[in-house]
Amino acid sequence: MVVLDAKGISKSFPGVKALNNVDLTLNSGEIHCIVGENGAGKSTLVKILTGILTAEQGNLFIGGKLVDKSNKELYSKVAYVPQELNLFKYMTVAENIFLPFDKTSFPSFIVDTKKIEAATKPYLEKLNMTADPSSTIINIPVSEQQMLQVARAIARQNFSVLILDEPTTSLTRQETERFFTILHSLRDEGKSIVFISHKLDEVFSLGNRISVLRNGELVGVSDIKKVDSAWAIEKMTGEEIDVRRNYRPKTAPGELLLEVHKLSGIGFNDISFNVHKGEIVGFAGLVGAGRTEIMQTIFGYLPEKNGEVLFKGRKAKFRDTAASIKNGIIYLTEERKTHGILPYLSVRENIGVMLENQISTLGVVHSKADNSISDKVLRNYNVKATSREMKIINLSGGNQQKVLIGRTMESSPEIIIFDEPTKGIDVKTKEEIYLMMQKLAEEDQIGIILISSEIEELLKCSSRIITVYNGKKLGEFAGNQLNTGSILSSIIGITETNQTERAKL
Amino acid sequence: MKTQSGTNQNMAFRVVDYFRRSQIAGTMIVLGAILVVSSFVSNKFLTPYNLQIMVRSLAFTGMVSLGQGLLLLLGDIDLSVGAVAGLCGVICGKFAVEMHLNPYLAIVLALMFGLLFGAFNGLLVTSFKLNAIVLTIGMQTVYRGINQVITKGRTITGFPKNITVLGAGNVIGIPTPAIVLVAVFCLMYFLTRRTTYGRNVYAVGNSIDTAKMVGIKTQRVRIISYAICGFLAGLAGILMSMRLASAQASIGEIWVLPSIAAPVIGGVATTGGIGSITGALIGGAIMGVVSNIIVLGNVNIYWQQVLNGAIVVVAIIFDSFAQKFRKI
Repeated sequence: MVVLDAKGISKSFPGVKALNNVDLTLNSGEIHCIVGENGAGKSTLVKILTGILTAEQGNLFIGGKLVDKSNKELYSKVAYVPQELNLFKYMTVAENIFLPFDKTSFPSFIVDTKKIEAATKPYLEKLNMTADPSSTIINIPVSEQQMLQVARAIARQNFSVLILDEPTTSLTRQETERFFTILHSLRDEGKSIVFISHKLDEVFSLGNRISVLRNGELVGVSDIKKVDSAWAIEKMTGEEIDVRRNYRPKTAPGELLLEVHKLSGIGFNDISFNVHKGEIVGFAGLVGAGRTEIMQTIFGYLPEKNGEVLFKGRKAKFRDTAASIKNGIIYLTEERKTHGILPYLSVRENIGVMLENQISTLGVVHSKADNSISDKVLRNYNVKATSREMKIINLSGGNQQKVLIGRTMESSPEIIIFDEPTKGIDVKTKEEIYLMMQKLAEEDQIGIILISSEIEELLKCSSRIITVYNGKKLGEFAGNQLNTGSILSSIIGITETNQTERAKL
Repeated sequence: MKTQSGTNQNMAFRVVDYFRRSQIAGTMIVLGAILVVSSFVSNKFLTPYNLQIMVRSLAFTGMVSLGQGLLLLLGDIDLSVGAVAGLCGVICGKFAVEMHLNPYLAIVLALMFGLLFGAFNGLLVTSFKLNAIVLTIGMQTVYRGINQVITKGRTITGFPKNITVLGAGNVIGIPTPAIVLVAVFCLMYFLTRRTTYGRNVYAVGNSIDTAKMVGIKTQRVRIISYAICGFLAGLAGILMSMRLASAQASIGEIWVLPSIAAPVIGGVATTGGIGSITGALIGGAIMGVVSNIIVLGNVNIYWQQVLNGAIVVVAIIFDSFAQKFRKI
């Protein structure tokens, strides 16, 4: 049965045709996957299906009825779980599920906390969550927060469509698998599920049907059993990409750049490792294992507790990001939106802000140098922007990332820490970033630290891989030890010594 | 001729482009419209005498709002500007009149105090990660208190003539405070547009976390900005004392609200990072013209305050609409 039907949807933003004549049909009891590169129009389509935006052309039918101004309540049939966490951080799990109370099953003016918390339990059980209904959001793990967003969406009782936008980004492999069984049971109840993801392996293990968007157009719809990931990638990019390629630096590593000795800080203890010129050191671990904290401490953004860091044999200065950048240690953040870009400033200003000594004398900015350096970044890093004066917030995520990488390169770095550089970035831009890292290591002899939650990405790119579990370093893998099995068992806390100890017992 | 028209076109394009990007075209049009309407409402409006009065009085709040505008661009605020202005006027009077220092030296010293008061506010806000609104309301009372301690409630009179002209005089018909305002504006424009410091102000206002990540010393940028704001508040207070030829505790009491309203009317977002110093100046001009025409229109003195307040509220509502518009 068709529960939602979108016909010939078009939508434009200033200067961009975001969607062009897109059709989408959702049936009850099926999981429909939508894939596409960044900027392909996935988010715009979702916003139209959920009523956040209105299409310029085309019709949207929900439950067989045409949606127009008079019956906006039809949108309540569409439940939506956004990619970003948007929970009330200082309120409880139960309150987050049922707020606003008057629209859920608790219409009375006086709030009965116990009743609400009791009503929360079935949803938590359904999603296999361990959090207590009365715990505050900031005290539960990120993966639970992500599941809670799903719980909140399905607590709106009469939904027939559930849209999930990249729901697995902060879930571990096991949590993802559990999550998928839940989605299967929802599907079997007759709900229609829309699953948007960059992770094609997940799409193909989960979905029933697949739609591919490219540049705002629908370029392929198929029963998922009839196609494979090569087909999807080809449709998404318009050309074939070899997913099997490996991007490890082929040149031998050079001299020692960075030595970290028994470093402790917020969320990690006793971490030691080295980085040489021209190598890519991968950091594997679960979300929350402490990898980001280790790197931000070395960079000077978070305070250290103990230990020392030597850069080219000299003691590095802690708690001073400016000194780190001056020395050539640069950290590219995972939180691009909040810690990477200056949203309402132009691309030019976003580039110049890190390169002040190159574009100014005695604090006075030279417009010419300022302009030419940003033009150079836009050109060299193939950024799709209409002009350097465009506000950076209007670029797609992948292009923002290219700008940030470009400005980093202009500051003559010696060590670059990439924290989840391809999170939420499409397959084609991903490959561009891998090639860029390889080139930086091989040609410019830069020491690269790569944090990633995708084991495949780490295996493809790293010369060595260090695993971190619960704030502690567990292992270091190189050469023929670099395989999925050993890394995976290490990051979930099963080390060889552990195993032998257990064997002895 | 051909090249001439080519460069003209280029110039025209650049001017249009400038207005489009700096988002002040709208406020410029509003200012123009208000000027035209005002000249019809009252035939006294365009008289040289009235224009002098109007420009002189808007010069004082204008200086304060340029400083406040700078802080708003950072996402910061200083509600003690009025108290700092009054206190600096009194300090200047103490030095020049009661201690018989060289009057110019007295002004410079008083300005330094303004700078220090501002810097102190900034130091407190940034070191203890305080809410700027709450802290500066507290500091406002502290500075007012110090003012009372110094003056014991009395007015300091008897400034030497050679410095009172700085507040009360004219140069070729233009009130001296207005000339000072123009100079201050040029300096602030240069600072915010052409220097790395100015870039850093916008960066911090956009996202303080990102600013830290790219190596900006955010605490330094913020303290310097608070110091500049305190300096400008002090300057306005001192010039006002010169104009009145007396330093009174009450100077600056009603400047806080206009100092925030002017930048907001001129398109500076209260959340930081968006807007410009030029906008703050135009916003200040709009407020000055409106209060002038309210007086000329013989509005009852009690209703004048209601109207002035209402204009600010309307401007803030407008700002919130504008922000929604910008997000897309």
